[in-house]
Amino acid sequence: MEHTEHLEHTETPSDMKSQIWKTFWILLAFTVVDIVLYFVLLSTHAMWKNWVFIILGVVKAYYIVGVFMHMKFEKKALMYTIVLPMVFVIFFVALMLIEGDFTNVLRWLK
Amino acid sequence: MATNTLTTNSKFTWGGGKSPFSVSYGKLMMWIFLLSDAFTFSSLLIAYGFIRYSFLEPIRNTIVKPFNHLSHEFVKEMGDVGLFVKDHWPSPELVFNHFPFVHGMHLPLFFVSLMTFILIFSSVTMVLAVEAGHRMAKDEVSKYMFLTIIGGAAFLGCQAWEWTTFIGEGATLHGNPFGPTSFAALFFIVTGFHGFHVFSGVMLNIIIYFNVLDGTYQKRGHYEMVEKVGLYWHFVDLVWVFVFTFFYLI
Repeated sequence: MEHTEHLEHTETPSDMKSQIWKTFWILLAFTVVDIVLYFVLLSTHAMWKNWVFIILGVVKAYYIVGVFMHMKFEKKALMYTIVLPMVFVIFFVALMLIEGDFTNVLRWLK
Repeated sequence: MATNTLTTNSKFTWGGGKSPFSVSYGKLMMWIFLLSDAFTFSSLLIAYGFIRYSFLEPIRNTIVKPFNHLSHEFVKEMGDVGLFVKDHWPSPELVFNHFPFVHGMHLPLFFVSLMTFILIFSSVTMVLAVEAGHRMAKDEVSKYMFLTIIGGAAFLGCQAWEWTTFIGEGATLHGNPFGPTSFAALFFIVTGFHGFHVFSGVMLNIIIYFNVLDGTYQKRGHYEMVEKVGLYWHFVDLVWVFVFTFFYLI
């Protein structure tokens, strides 16, 4: 066999199946909350509203990465290697939103 | 856990003893790839945020309520009442309000919610395939892999329908009747890039599905290949969470 790669992995919890379904219902519930909130807040103009949706997105991401992608059960070193670089994204978001605001001003100055 | 790695070192892809992360070489590389892909998608979404933020907020709709009647001239009428203008980003609920086989009704976000549910569900069948793989249950793995492929194909079909509707209303890469030019352009680029990932995922899943049927992994002694495509598949679902948030909810 050419593929005799050694299999190293962290242990899967014994109740994985129930965890999967629990995560499914959580994701479904959060998506429904997203949609309901969208209509409830339809006439609201506010920055906090965007943050509500972003936070709900991050919570869903936590469950997908943690349970579905098994990250919760991996070694901490692997988790930090993958998750920490995403901090740069937060930095990038902040910079580009500031830049977007300036572009907005310039657009209406002309 | 690895205990005898050093003694049979030459056989293994991962040299140098015990893996520092307790995962195989292939799985670690999949994670690193996904991290770089996450940066790519972040850049696209940040570009979206930047361009959108450089336009004025959507004008909130107080006229059309869900389940209202939709005329054939809906987009034009929205332009006439001042809801679709060049200076303001359009409100997504007024743009993505169609549903297959339901004509002439304002159904905002219904279709994209359905797409989201399809993708979440296909993620669940994928992780169930991985779980079955740990138990070396070949029949269950193949069953869940098959369901995942169906879910992915259903999502792609939905996206094709949505693009067709969107293009039918006059959206192109260089113009659209909804508002700023970049609105439709960004929609095509970002959902297109995501859709291409889904398409690649479906192709990979099909290859792995046939390998499962062939008994390749049963002979190999583990179903790690299913886990690796699983990681990719969940990532596609993860990206959709944010595409959904930024393009349809915000």
